[in-house]
Amino acid sequence: PVKIKLGTLVPKDSSPHQSLKLMAEQWRQAPGGGVKLSLYTDGTLGGEVDMVNRMLIGQLQAALITSVGLAKIDNSVTALQTMPLVYRTLDEVDYVREKVRQKLERRLADKGFVVLFWTDAGWVKCFSRRPVLFPDDLKKQKLFVWAGESKSLEIITAVGFQAVPLETADIVIGLKNRLIDAIPLPPFFALAGQIYDTAQNMLDLNWAPLSGACVVSRKVWDKLPSETQAALRESAEKAGNDIRAQARKEMTESVAAMQKRGLTVYTLTPEAEIEWRKLAASTYPKIRGGLVPAEMFDEVMQLLAEYRAVKTP
Amino acid sequence: MSAEISVPPVVTGWRRGLRDTENIGVTIVLFLMMLLPVLEIVLRKTHHAGIAGAPLIIQQFTLIVGVLGGAIAARDCQLIALSVLTSVVHGRVKTAMVVFSQAFAAVITAFLCVASVIFVNDMRHSADIVAFGIRSWYVQMLLPVGFGVIAVRLWWHAAKTWRGRMVAFVLIAVFVAIALWVPVSPEKMKWPALGLLLVATVLGAPVFTTLGGAALILFWGEGVSIAAVPLTHYSLVTNPSLPTIPLFTLAGYFLAEGGASQRLVRVFNSLFGQIRGGPAIVTALVCAFFTSFTGGSGVTILALGGVLMPVLIAAKYRERTALGLLTGAGSLGILFPPCLPLILYAIIASQAKAQISIEQMFLGGIIPGFVMVALAIWWGVAAGPKITEERRRFDGREAWRAVWSAKWELLLPVVALVALFGGFATPVEAAAVTAMYAFTVETFVYRDLKLFKDVPGVVTDCGRIVGGVLLILGVALGFTQYLVDAQVPDQAVAWVTGAIHSKWLFLIGLNVILILVGGLVEIYAAIIVVVPLLVPLGKAFGIDPIHLGIIFLANMELGFLAPPVGLNLLFASYRFNKPMIEVMRAVLPMLGVQFIGVLLITYVPPLTTWLPHLLSK
Ligand code: NA
Ligand code: NA
Repeated sequence: PVKIKLGTLVPKDSSPHQSLKLMAEQWRQAPGGGVKLSLYTDGTLGGEVDMVNRMLIGQLQAALITSVGLAKIDNSVTALQTMPLVYRTLDEVDYVREKVRQKLERRLADKGFVVLFWTDAGWVKCFSRRPVLFPDDLKKQKLFVWAGESKSLEIITAVGFQAVPLETADIVIGLKNRLIDAIPLPPFFALAGQIYDTAQNMLDLNWAPLSGACVVSRKVWDKLPSETQAALRESAEKAGNDIRAQARKEMTESVAAMQKRGLTVYTLTPEAEIEWRKLAASTYPKIRGGLVPAEMFDEVMQLLAEYRAVKTP
Repeated sequence: MSAEISVPPVVTGWRRGLRDTENIGVTIVLFLMMLLPVLEIVLRKTHHAGIAGAPLIIQQFTLIVGVLGGAIAARDCQLIALSVLTSVVHGRVKTAMVVFSQAFAAVITAFLCVASVIFVNDMRHSADIVAFGIRSWYVQMLLPVGFGVIAVRLWWHAAKTWRGRMVAFVLIAVFVAIALWVPVSPEKMKWPALGLLLVATVLGAPVFTTLGGAALILFWGEGVSIAAVPLTHYSLVTNPSLPTIPLFTLAGYFLAEGGASQRLVRVFNSLFGQIRGGPAIVTALVCAFFTSFTGGSGVTILALGGVLMPVLIAAKYRERTALGLLTGAGSLGILFPPCLPLILYAIIASQAKAQISIEQMFLGGIIPGFVMVALAIWWGVAAGPKITEERRRFDGREAWRAVWSAKWELLLPVVALVALFGGFATPVEAAAVTAMYAFTVETFVYRDLKLFKDVPGVVTDCGRIVGGVLLILGVALGFTQYLVDAQVPDQAVAWVTGAIHSKWLFLIGLNVILILVGGLVEIYAAIIVVVPLLVPLGKAFGIDPIHLGIIFLANMELGFLAPPVGLNLLFASYRFNKPMIEVMRAVLPMLGVQFIGVLLITYVPPLTTWLPHLLSK
């Protein structure tokens, strides 16, 4: 059978890994001899950028990665993630994704990748050493920015934050050594990395979704007979839905688990929300065209306006 | 850190011009690596913002230092080779050995160059940007250039005569032709090719070609793109924590090449020299101090051997005892911060998903480090002269003068630790601060190094050794990638946890295996290849990752003294002009004593874990 190696950062035996294992089992029995899928969890074949590179040279054939990695193939995918306070609910994220996915998939296909499924892991929240309710509370603390993206650093410092660029590997020690005080993270990772030990406060503000996709290299995909492709796609779609549903559920569970271990969660007040939205809006001119391609940014805004017009009577 | 010792060839004309350009290039880049992070700290304090993209630029500098330093090491015949054979064989046999091993090494390096070309070509489809809109594949083009230059230089140094070079050239052509055109599947060619690689290694091929060659051959045999090797090399060399390695090494080089050795020996001698066994104490402490900064015993033995040997002989130590003590003490600092193996272990183990930081490894190593030093001292005192006719008395004023004159150097560990744990610097920035401090002290305070006359040479030496080591690290990780790709770690865990059920039994097995590894493999390569296999096993048996790391490194420390591949033996034999066999005999008791230390460290976990856990609360 055809061999496909799939890399991902998700931990071994976690729920997304279980869903992928189930998918691998179904792929083995796919028509046309089946496909042998080997899973490399925990980033054993490198971080997200590394995995994309390994797909480009053909060492890996597939990966389940977030928009951070996908952006190294085509940066239009940032429209589903690098948009602070643009999305208000996960339904909005679903709606926009369904509308733009064809376009994104076409662009990724042009670069040599087929999207098997889109997914997300809920919201990125802000964890901090001292409580944060208003933007000014956060401006008094040193904020982590990923060192792999110099543009976002520029934007964040421009609106008045004390940004400290660090690698993901230095997060835990950076917090312990007081090099950083605050960090935006999905709760699942905050729990796994024991971030709540030092950053004991969380603001319940849905900063941005953590979106991702499972992609496979066209070098191997295009050689498969179309009935095989259809069968693989079907089980992949199922896995994608499972992963999304499970991850959203675990997001709430992670927060609850951290609360038991000393995390304080601050609910967003309406006054604070207004200030946060004002701050986020001030970054949009720089994000549009800087981090997110302008046409994608505009399209997302347009779609959300439509969605909200229908939803709110 | 260490290299096989030989004298760089003298050159003239255009080759001299090229040589100077390379030296100046590597010096400038290392200086920028040191200055940028320091500037970053200052800007963050004063302007609340650093230089846009500075960490990314520093990462790319490591790549440049690696490529330039590697090319320089090949030019000066200083690529690290581990064969003991080349030092015992002479005449025509040796000439033939060198021609064959270097020609084979050139073939491997040429294929590394080809793999890099494939890699860069594939990476043109990536949207990745380094900084300031520079696409990452522009920078990656340095890799094929670097490997290409090294391949040519390996061929050139295969012989001193044109006739010899012709023979080497024909050999290279034959090997390449076999690899490319013989109609046998790669899968079947794999084992003969690996066999040939082993022969070339025993005959003296550099370590990096052994590991890089193994990685290339194995990927090729599996039908996976050989571009995986340079890709892995690139991703390791640009790892955000990796710049700590050249920077701490640079600090060590400033120290070693300045007058630090005399001043430090004077300090410890005035403090401990008069008590029984004092000279042994002095030797152990000074060596440990030095090695913790230079990252490996090579530089320590070379820099301190000449100063300490007379001290020991004057104190009536037998020559063999003195030789054993100095050879053994060379590696004593491995477990003290900020020694490079501790850093590298933390980087590689956290890539393998162990929850561990550089700082935790630093804290974990301190007590075990003192255990090893104490044991060395104990033996040194016991083996020393029993009666000294006239005992020197402690001279308080001389001690004070010695300490006062060496105060800036004695403060170096304090500077390093404050920078690391003070909360204003990342590990890379702390390393830059330390290097900057050592540079300032040796050049402007003690004025042992002249800014234009000495400093460029010192920095070039550092760049050469770093280049040689980075070459090994990068391709070694390529080899590890093959193991991960073939899912060997998972299988190893399944097999070992199936066969062994007790943690203590596992630790015994671990000691046996690691002593063998330490006896055969160079320490950096060992960390990169073995640690990813070890981390999941440690997890399965519930061993603290810090403890696992210190056990590993303590075993490697022993490996520096253990035949057949003991780097300290090689360096001591060179420095003191003694045959290998004599050095081996002299170091045996020290080997035994250090073995006791390894056992203590392994079976008394709190020695390692107590301090990091105490300070994490
Ligand atoms: Na960093
Ligand atoms: Na050894």
